[in-house]
Amino acid sequence: MIIELGHYALVLALATAIIQGLLPVVGVRRGDPALMALAANAALVCFLLVAFSFAVLTFAYVTSDFSVKNVWENSHSLKPLIYKVTGVWGNHEGSMLLWLLILVFFSAMVALFGRNLPETLKANVLAVQAWIATAFTLFVLLTSNPFARLVPAPGEGRDLNPVLQDIGLAIHPPLLYLGYVGFSVCFSFAVAALIEGRIDAAWARWVRPWTLAAWTFLTAGIAMGSYWAYYELGWGGWWFWDPVENASFMPWLAGTALLHSALVMEKREALKIWTVLLAITTFSLSLLGTFLVRSGVLTSVHAFATDPTRGVFILAILVVFIGGAFSLFAFRASHLKAGGIFAPISREGALVLNNLILTTATATVLTGTLYPLVLEALTGDKISVGAPFFNMTFGLLMLPLVAVVPFGPLLAWKRGDLAGAAQRLFTAAAVGLLAAAACYYAVNGGPVLAPLGLGLGVYLIIGALTDLVLRSGLGKVKAGVAWKRFSGLPRSSIGTALAHIGLGITLIGIVAVTAFETETVVEMKPGAVVDVGRYSLRFDGMREGRGPNYTENAGHFTISRGGVAVSEVWSSKRLYSARRMPTTEAGIRTFGVSQLYVSLGDDMADGGIVVRIWWKPLILCIWGGALVMMAGGIVSLTDRRLRVGAPARARRPLAVGAAE
Amino acid sequence: MLFWILVAILTAAVAAVLLLPLMRAAAPLPSRHSHDIEVYRDQLGELARDRDAGLIGSEEAELARAEIARRMLAASAADQAAAERTPKRLLSNRLSQAFIFLCLPAIGLCLYLTTGSPGVPAQPLAARLADPNGDVNILIAKAENHLALNPEDGAGWDLLAPIYMRHGRLEDAVAAYDRAIRLLGPTPARMGGYAEALVAQGGGLVTSEAQNALRKALALDPNDPRSAFYLALGLKQEGKNAEALSAFRKLAGSSPADAPWLPLVNQHIAELADSPAAVGPTGPAATGPAAPGNPTPGDIAAAKEMNDGDRQSMIRGMVDSLASRLKEDPANLEGWMRLIRSYVVLDQRDRAEEALHEGLIAFPATGVQGKQLLALAQELGLDAGGDTE
Repeated sequence: MIIELGHYALVLALATAIIQGLLPVVGVRRGDPALMALAANAALVCFLLVAFSFAVLTFAYVTSDFSVKNVWENSHSLKPLIYKVTGVWGNHEGSMLLWLLILVFFSAMVALFGRNLPETLKANVLAVQAWIATAFTLFVLLTSNPFARLVPAPGEGRDLNPVLQDIGLAIHPPLLYLGYVGFSVCFSFAVAALIEGRIDAAWARWVRPWTLAAWTFLTAGIAMGSYWAYYELGWGGWWFWDPVENASFMPWLAGTALLHSALVMEKREALKIWTVLLAITTFSLSLLGTFLVRSGVLTSVHAFATDPTRGVFILAILVVFIGGAFSLFAFRASHLKAGGIFAPISREGALVLNNLILTTATATVLTGTLYPLVLEALTGDKISVGAPFFNMTFGLLMLPLVAVVPFGPLLAWKRGDLAGAAQRLFTAAAVGLLAAAACYYAVNGGPVLAPLGLGLGVYLIIGALTDLVLRSGLGKVKAGVAWKRFSGLPRSSIGTALAHIGLGITLIGIVAVTAFETETVVEMKPGAVVDVGRYSLRFDGMREGRGPNYTENAGHFTISRGGVAVSEVWSSKRLYSARRMPTTEAGIRTFGVSQLYVSLGDDMADGGIVVRIWWKPLILCIWGGALVMMAGGIVSLTDRRLRVGAPARARRPLAVGAAE
Repeated sequence: MLFWILVAILTAAVAAVLLLPLMRAAAPLPSRHSHDIEVYRDQLGELARDRDAGLIGSEEAELARAEIARRMLAASAADQAAAERTPKRLLSNRLSQAFIFLCLPAIGLCLYLTTGSPGVPAQPLAARLADPNGDVNILIAKAENHLALNPEDGAGWDLLAPIYMRHGRLEDAVAAYDRAIRLLGPTPARMGGYAEALVAQGGGLVTSEAQNALRKALALDPNDPRSAFYLALGLKQEGKNAEALSAFRKLAGSSPADAPWLPLVNQHIAELADSPAAVGPTGPAATGPAAPGNPTPGDIAAAKEMNDGDRQSMIRGMVDSLASRLKEDPANLEGWMRLIRSYVVLDQRDRAEEALHEGLIAFPATGVQGKQLLALAQELGLDAGGDTE
């Protein structure tokens, strides 16, 4: 009975969402405060209903209720409890329900904390949220109902795809969805502004924190997914330009641009149109990502949906929301009053350049992702656009962006001084070049561009630090005073610096791994020794083991350096009994921020086994950088939401001390 | 009943929360620009704090203050302009209340009744295990859990195998019989059951693997009627009509007069005696698996009514439809194996080889499934040509 109540609650949530999507809009048109106030109540009710429904599904998973088809398809009574819970969203139906839950959760947050929003704006925003919720609830109920029942109930489930039985994947989808769906709030604010034909002063104060939060979650989700693919799939790679990865990366790029324009908008009331357009674009890309992953148009590790009706349904949602929003933008954008004016060389100008490059990069990734699909649909030819395309186009676009990133924070609002900023970045550039030279010297004969890339990363980090040093006046005033000024800095500028430093760290990691990693594939028998970089690996032999729902064959390796054993590592191959599916559990040892990665291949007839060993220098920087970026996002989020950008005075040689 | 009461309560509670704002007397709406002015006032306060803390110079602060003040003036001017227009009189929201009242139960019940299963209780596994009460799936699951921990328990496999067979889990049945035979040794019942499972798995065709098992069963007990029947059926399928006829006759002779299988045996005898050319996989086991292209019970009933010419064409029709389905969706190993076998039975060996070739395109010979196809070809004596590469 509890299961059916959960199902009914979901249906009731649909009815509530329909009411929430219609009546408040009528209220805004008629100027009826009662109907507008209804939106907040409906949003809260909708959230409670979906949350109850989700809890019921989780309960079904935890108690292994195989009379629920979804549980039977994706769970197993012997699975550890944590994977029973994470199995709820480890499949198509459950993950769509999670998507919905997060969507209505954000609506409820707007309803709860939006007390200082103008009533009409709040009502419109919640109505737009409700339209999205209606579409997705219908999608869940009609094409992917997680509450479908099986009578009589089978005695045992078919188990979750073993690749997904992993803690990394347990938290990756919720983080990613928090990011994707977080942008829905920005989207709703943008559409509401377009409907009303005006942007309130409170608008930007709301959009920036939402963007920041969504961006932080998305960063975490992408980094987590990348790390999961790295250690779980056993291929040794960390980014494959797989369409599914691109699907999450595109909203991130657009979201990064949105973040920067929302910043300008909050402080200077400029770039309004940019912000609205980017808010729509970012969420559209999130929807596109959902479509690509959920419709099954892609064949990759993530595509567990193959039902064509689902694809058509999501495509319809996509067309209505993206098409509708962009049409609305085309009709109404001219009604929006443009905000503050600024000179081309100013912080605003630098951020416009940043937006231009980021949107171009997004378009590049979009082209690379969709072109094979369109080509296949039109001509039936199957082609794949791989890493070389993305590395050429995307990489080339990122190069100038990285070079100008440190300039942004150093330029003054409204009108800036480029020569002055360049002067102040001199140290950073010099240290960067020095690092590049040192690196070239160290690996003389290595790839030519790699030292340059590393130098660029160092330049980014020092550049971001320069901003903080200059603001606190370190070196010019006494240390105590400098510290006082540093701690008094607005947290948003510390967040900016952190995010830029994180970018630099990630860049260093990417360049180091791409240029300097080594891969060894050998056949090893027990006792065999192989040299990998500075370490040597001895294969000690295999051992059989058994987990709750799998059996495994694990190989033991001893790692030594200069003849002295320094560490050991297990690498194994597992066979999950319910699905008869093998997986690889790579053995990974960390040395500093570099890693040694050991993966087992096929058994050979003569008792040996194929072993793949990678030495991955500085690889942890890639995800460490993402963590620093996230920290930047969080720090900036804790800042007060009232920042005003003080403009620099005209015709002043140096804009020293221009504040946030 | 309790369920429907809870449904009603839930619906009523949601309706109440949604109706609440409509019941309250509406407070007059503050003007939009007053919100803007509020924001600007906050910003001025923030600016003053920043200046006092020494974060920005007094000159920048003055410039910023001027900018904000300009915006504030514009907002209050717009505010006064808006205030002159009298706000619209609020219409009665009866209509909205009615909409909510109707919408919730209408959408809720209509959709739920089409997609939900109101009568089905929750069935947590623990409760089912504690009280199986005739729940066959649970009994099977319990036995499976037991055997996963004690895979050497031959009696367990022996018990489970016929249950799998009855539930149409043919692959599991074959494996369970195989294990029971390896652990406990062959008996006529086990060997016969194993062969029957193989026949069912092969879609009613008595493969050479099944024939081997049947011969072993008969070696242990020459009078085992089930094994004798399937062996005779195999002979008939291979087109060895004379041998099949004598085998069926022998079985009929050794069976008691009220044996339940006798009518079926007699039917085969009549067919073989009437038309020596009659072939076709219409044995009783053909109803086993749910692979595509299987004859439905209706087909079989119809086949029984037909004369031989009609039956041949019906079988051909089924084989053709299977072939065309496989052209559309080649990722169906079982389908390919059935098609190849059927062509061999229909004595169209060139077509069988063609089908084998196409099957190997869908399942390359290097894979496990491709190897299964090659094994089948070998068993049926087909030439796999260059596909083994």
